[in-house]
This record gives sequence, C-alpha cells and structure tokens, in this order.
Amino acid sequence: MTRLVEVPTQFDDRSFDQFAGAFASATQNGERLLFDAHAADWASPLGLLGLLVAGEAARQQSATRELPLLAAPTQAEVLSYWARAGFFREAAPLFEIHGKLPKGRPADESDVLLPVTPVRAAEDVHEVVSRIQQRASAILASELGLDPKATMGFAMALSEACQNIVEHAGTGGWVAVQSYNWRRQLARRVVMIAVADAGVGFRHSLEPTQAKRFGARWGDAAALEAALIQGVSRFRDPGRGQGLAGIRRYLARWNGKIAIRSGTARIAIVPDWDDDVPLRDGLPPFPGAQVLILIPEQRDGQGVGVGAVKR
Amino acid sequence: MIQYIDVHAVLRQSSAGEYGDLVTRSTGRRVRERIEQAMNAGAPPVIARMDFSGVGCVDYSCADEIVAKLSRAWGPPTVLVLRGLTESHREAIEPVLASHRLAVVLETSEGALHALGEPSVGTALLEQLVALRFATRQPGGTLALNAT
Repeated sequence: MTRLVEVPTQFDDRSFDQFAGAFASATQNGERLLFDAHAADWASPLGLLGLLVAGEAARQQSATRELPLLAAPTQAEVLSYWARAGFFREAAPLFEIHGKLPKGRPADESDVLLPVTPVRAAEDVHEVVSRIQQRASAILASELGLDPKATMGFAMALSEACQNIVEHAGTGGWVAVQSYNWRRQLARRVVMIAVADAGVGFRHSLEPTQAKRFGARWGDAAALEAALIQGVSRFRDPGRGQGLAGIRRYLARWNGKIAIRSGTARIAIVPDWDDDVPLRDGLPPFPGAQVLILIPEQRDGQGVGVGAVKR
Repeated sequence: MIQYIDVHAVLRQSSAGEYGDLVTRSTGRRVRERIEQAMNAGAPPVIARMDFSGVGCVDYSCADEIVAKLSRAWGPPTVLVLRGLTESHREAIEPVLASHRLAVVLETSEGALHALGEPSVGTALLEQLVALRFATRQPGGTLALNAT
C-alpha cells in the first residue's frame, strides 16, 4: 500500500510543519510513500531541501527499501524553477519521479546563487564557499545593498552552517542559496541560505554532554537552545561552538534572521522586521536538522528597521 | 629568532593546491599541524610571523583551529604576529581569540603592531616584544618590528 504525503502548494518555512505532520503520520507503518507536489506553485529553498530530507528518510525507513514516489509539479514555470534550482538532480536518486521534467542542466540564473548542492564532507564545504564567492559578491552588493566586505562574512556564515552537517549530522545533507522578494513582511529582497540534513539532529548530537545538565527539561528545544543561544557543542574541545556564535554575530550586524528546526522543536533569532516565534516545541517530528538564514536588503547603509516593516 | 610562515602556501600544500580558503575544521587542523611541524623543526621561535596574504575566506572554525590553538600551545614565550589580514579575516579571528581570552599581535600593512584579541594579554605580548628588543616605539607612538 502507498501512503500519500501532500506537499504544500506554498512550501516554505511557514508550511514546513504542515508537511512534517503529514510526513510523520504517513511513515508510521513503513509503507511506500507518494509525495504529491503536483499542485505546488511555490517552494522556497528550505521547502525543496525539506522534500529531499523526507525522501531520504522515507527510503531509509521503508520496509521494502523501495524509493518513495514523487509526483512532480504540473505548472511549467514551477517545474522550470525546481529544475533551475537543482532540485531534480538531487531528487533523482531518492525518488521515483513521475511527471514531465525539463531537460538539461540547471541554468546559471541570477536568483539562484547556489543551486541545491550536496554536502557530505569538508571538500564539499570548500566547493560551496568557493562557488558562492564567485557568484554572490556582485549580487549581494547590487541587489541587497550589502557592503562588498560583507560577502566574505556571508561565505563564513555559509561555511559554518554547512559544517554543522559534516561535523554533527552523521550523514550528508544539502545547501541552497537564493535571492528573492520576501513578500510577507518586508516587501524587499532577501538572500536565503537553507541547509538541511536527515541526520541525527541536535538532541541526539548533544545528548551525551548536555542531557544531564538540563535534567527533565532535556529535549529537542533544550538542545537547540544549548547550541544556538549558549554555543555549546558535543565536542569537549573549548574552541567548539564558534560556528553558530559567528553566524549570530554576522546576522546581528546585517539584521538577519536564523531559524533552526530539529526533531520536534524550532528556535529562531528574530529580527525586528519579522514576526516569527523564538521557540516552538511539540512540533511534528522531522528527521535531522534544517537551518534557515535570511539576510535582508539594506537601505541607506542600514539594516531593516521597525519603521520599514510592511505587513 | 623570527619564523616566517606563508599561510597561503601552507594551505596549498595541505590541500594539494586545491583550495584558497581557510574553511572547515579538518583543513584548519591540517594547516596547523604543518605549521607546528615547521616550528618544531628548530629552536622555538621568539616570533612566528604568519602571513595571510592571498588567503580568501577564513571561517571561525579555522580561526579557532589555527590561530587560537597555536596561540594557546606556543605563546608566550613565542609571540604570534599576524600580517596580511583583511578586515574579514580579522572579523573571524578576533572574536575567537577574545572568547578564549587569548591574543596575538597584528602587523598592519604599514608595519605597525597592535594587539588582537584579549586586550590585556595583547598588551603583554607587545611589551614582551619591546623587552626582547624585537620591537621599538616609532616617532608616532606606534610599535614596529625591528628585524623584518
């Protein structure tokens, strides 16, 4: 028997938990899954990566080891975007894909700063950092109004976000970077970094060193709080934990946002232009960890302030 | 004794010439180990002058793995003097050092020496260089290395 998992028509961080809930309830019996994206008309990089994570997890959990099915979007422009973003290239080994896919390689489109790219080892992080510096510098300056010097900081933040996979996930993952109009609150351009894996997640990674300290409070939310707010790491090396702290410093400077979802919790450092919730627990379980980083367009040399928020 | 370390060249040797960026823990570890091999080859240097010219991105992991760990393991008596740093290199290295209450000496393109990291530790390093006559105060009040 095949179980249906509906892919939200607008698949981004706001609808992620809806997708996670559908995925969690469909995977209970180890049956083959059908991810139905035929009606999809928008997916953010985080949505695309979430779908890959679910596909990988479904393949691992399947009693028959059959590939899950994926009904591709039917709208031509949506298909075209998913292909440009490199989604189908990474999805091919994870899903039995049904639908008419565009032919050819992902294009070098200006909005896709980095197509969906696998991250399995340190060499992949080098490749990502190298590519983003070649590709993103001009776009970050011209579209986001970021000081050209901020490009290197952007590469640093990207490197550290990807290293979370290499150092902690216990499996591979993906990264994607894209600029687009952030319609919800800002009505201006943002650059989004999305990093996701189907690995062990923050709670499992930190449990040996942190669970006792948190006692009864220990869980996914406490693990995320320990990692992002307190800067702790599973390694006893005192130099560890610099990565997320560095990302936070970079985002504070450019008024950016970070949100991390792992297991049943999600934590966010929320800038004044966003209305996200800082910490949510008791969410539908989802494999691994998913990191979302947003850097907004700067105007008049400043980050987005309260006065610029449009709702 | 002053030991000169071309960090970009060490990075190229450590990565078979593939990379120009100091990113990831494993790359940082390989680069640090090669630097330590060089520093262990003779008598401990009084100054390890690390030139970052030509290095692209430095991330926080590499800043910790290379600069913080060398600083902890070698200095003092060895003073790490970093030159060829871009602003973004500093942005990665400085908070990592400060979080460990460590410091190194920064040599600007004009040759002026400044503390980088924990101020009190950095000031002590600068005083050490003056006391050992490796640095002198210039007419404008800044410090500079005597032997280049």
